[in-house]
Amino acid sequence: MGQTQDFLSLSGLNTTPLPEPQRGQLANGTTLVQLDLPNAPVVCLDFWCRAGSGVEGPEESGIAHFLEHMVFKGSRRLQAGEFDLRIEALGGNSNAATGFDDVHYHVLIPPEACGEALELLTDLVLQPRLDAKDFDMERQVVLEELAQSEDQPEEVAFQQLLKQSCLNHAYGLPILGAREALLGHTPESMAAFHDRHYRADRCCLSVAGPLAALELDALLANSALAGLKPSERDVRPVALQFEPGEERLELPRLEAARLLMAWPLPGAADQMSVVGGDLITTLLAEGRRSRLVERLREQLRLVESVDLDLNVLESGCLVLLEAVCEPEQLSAVRAEINAVLLGLLQESPSDAEVDRARRLVGNGYRFSLEAPSAVAAMVGNSALWGREHNLQSPLDWLDEWDGRRLGQELVPQLQPQRAFVLEAVPA
Amino acid sequence: MRTAGVEQRELQGGCPLWLIDRPGPAILSAKLWIRGGSAADPNGQRGRSQLLAGVLSRGCGRLSGENLADLVEGRGAGLRCEAAEDGTLISLKCASDDATLLLPLLLQMVSSPWLVEDQITLERQLNLQTLQRQKEDPFQVAHDQLRHQLYGDGPYGHDPLGVEAELAQLGQPELQQCTQQLGQGGAVLVMAGQLPEQPEGLLLEGLDGQGWSTQAPVRQPGALGLKRGSLASKLDDTEQLVLMLGTTTGPLGSEQALALRLLHCHLGIGMSSRLFVALREEHGLAYDVGVHYPARLGDAPFVFHLSSSSDRAKEASQELLNEWLRLLEKPISEEQLELAKAKFRGQEALGRQTCSQIADRHALVLGHGLPFDFADQCLIEAEALTPDDLHQAAKALLQQPCLSLCGPDEAIKVAETVWNQHPLNRG
Repeated sequence: MGQTQDFLSLSGLNTTPLPEPQRGQLANGTTLVQLDLPNAPVVCLDFWCRAGSGVEGPEESGIAHFLEHMVFKGSRRLQAGEFDLRIEALGGNSNAATGFDDVHYHVLIPPEACGEALELLTDLVLQPRLDAKDFDMERQVVLEELAQSEDQPEEVAFQQLLKQSCLNHAYGLPILGAREALLGHTPESMAAFHDRHYRADRCCLSVAGPLAALELDALLANSALAGLKPSERDVRPVALQFEPGEERLELPRLEAARLLMAWPLPGAADQMSVVGGDLITTLLAEGRRSRLVERLREQLRLVESVDLDLNVLESGCLVLLEAVCEPEQLSAVRAEINAVLLGLLQESPSDAEVDRARRLVGNGYRFSLEAPSAVAAMVGNSALWGREHNLQSPLDWLDEWDGRRLGQELVPQLQPQRAFVLEAVPA
Repeated sequence: MRTAGVEQRELQGGCPLWLIDRPGPAILSAKLWIRGGSAADPNGQRGRSQLLAGVLSRGCGRLSGENLADLVEGRGAGLRCEAAEDGTLISLKCASDDATLLLPLLLQMVSSPWLVEDQITLERQLNLQTLQRQKEDPFQVAHDQLRHQLYGDGPYGHDPLGVEAELAQLGQPELQQCTQQLGQGGAVLVMAGQLPEQPEGLLLEGLDGQGWSTQAPVRQPGALGLKRGSLASKLDDTEQLVLMLGTTTGPLGSEQALALRLLHCHLGIGMSSRLFVALREEHGLAYDVGVHYPARLGDAPFVFHLSSSSDRAKEASQELLNEWLRLLEKPISEEQLELAKAKFRGQEALGRQTCSQIADRHALVLGHGLPFDFADQCLIEAEALTPDDLHQAAKALLQQPCLSLCGPDEAIKVAETVWNQHPLNRG
């Protein structure tokens, strides 16, 4: 047991070389990307499309997500429920998620059933049936999903934070949609949305897993993907509008107060900034020795938790902070967070601190490469948005940041006066 | 049974060590499963196991809590200690190269934790705050209520985080006593990934040649359920009514547990599952519907859960109760059973994607005193089960369920009326 391997030294981490994604394109312009993971027990097929809630028109609130539900109600060739039944009978499972920028549908499947799953998935997603009766039933399900999220006061608070700070930008609107708008949608309006956005140049299929013997290329060329038309006009994400400010909100059913803060950062196209954002948020709030956790939870004991997340988005990334505390501690919590952020501005983080963050980010990234679904999502999303770096690149970019550069380029963007601050207290 | 790449050893002191060699990504996952979780909390000290778990990483051996956090986070590793009902689990995930530095922590944490009063105070306060905050979630409220209906004040009757009034009284003396008992009920350490050359040497480092005294966990009866149908309701000002319908069954590995697991697959796994299709696809009653059936050493709960808008409380409760009744009244079809078996096999394959998943599943099974290849045996045994076997298991184990409701007054009244008139409620 135990083996010797040739190590490549990067980031102070010993690493094995990462596999290279194989890129391609169908004749109609649909993007394909495949990544071979010889030891994985399953294959992940992940279909991505630039059809998140961000491209909804004024009347279309919630339609991108509603469509994602309707897709599973069958296609021209598949009955409602048939897709799930066949995939699950093959020992696989499937799911989907709608974001602000994009939507993706994924299937995990044993390798021997991959070809059949590919045919089923592309057929399902590209030729939805949108039956009127199913449409009404599924609208009920979406309304239940909305009600369920509105019963979680924390989600209500986050929704308010985005609404207040992102002005009229799509990121300020709920992905699930507004209730009245959902009631107004029709199968026809949904078909129009599908036809407008599910186009060859706006779609990508990503496959990760043990691919060596599968010979997917011919299958892909003959799949429903090949029948996609190109877009009639190019729709690009609109730059994020963001306004700092503050708000206090009383929420029923809240048991602990929340301090929420949001900051804008450059969009996902600026991958160097994204990596820097990962580093600075980790340095500030991941682990007991991170600045915010150490100060607010461990030393002063003002909070139950403090989290800081980088949400990577096309129009502009959002850094979101959440501190959970007693209502009477809110102002002290806020003052301490401000002091920590200001402190970073006055003195750049130390090498040891940056190294700690670099290892946490680098390992988190490497650990995620173990699961085919995470890999397929990562390379699929990158390919969808025309980012052609390989898996190694983010680790290399980590090495380009040091304390001084973080202090000069990112810390000033995350100062209190640039944030939208929302205090939510129990009503 | 011998599996390629698997080795069983024993550490000085008696702890079994299982090594699962998984070359590829240079990752190591180690899981130390110690018998005796929250079910072992004495009455009056409920919350003790979880409190101790939280404090174990706040200083051990020669390292203070800060030194330990510096070491772990400085290597970008993850270290978690958590108490569940039947066991306390310590999980380490790191780059294989860091094993030399980090593996020595595992047994030091359990054999010589510092248990500093100040750190206990902090951890206790955090757990109390979490218990309070959990009440924001109507699912949690309904679940806590159901737990009490199913187990009363028995060992499984409380959240592993504890009971507020009792947790508030816990301090160093109680944790000291709890530490002395750690391992007496047995423990097992499972490591999966790219393994170090001499794991025993690393694991015993810093123990002053003493080893840690324990033995392999054996089969033994666990905590019992009350097995008495009941109704309980909690008023909450929500949009939805949360319904949980459940009973207590038997331990992992008991005679009819596998038949029940297949019923779980039939009812609640995937979008082709019975509850999903009946309640969501056919009636649009819910977004989230499923079955909760965790592995337990004692009487495991078997629970249907659903949340539906208040104005649909009648239909939702009727349909949910009818689904349960159907299990008692007639066997599922051969076709449904075949699908359930495919899902069971699929779940097994999907649960073996990462080193952590593999180590976790084996630690759980071994911690329950079951053989290493228990999951593989189950896959074989499942093939022989018939619809009648599943029906017999349902009739033996799923009689007289309890209904737990959480939501607004009107909806609760409606659901209570349905319950009072339903044939399931014969008790």
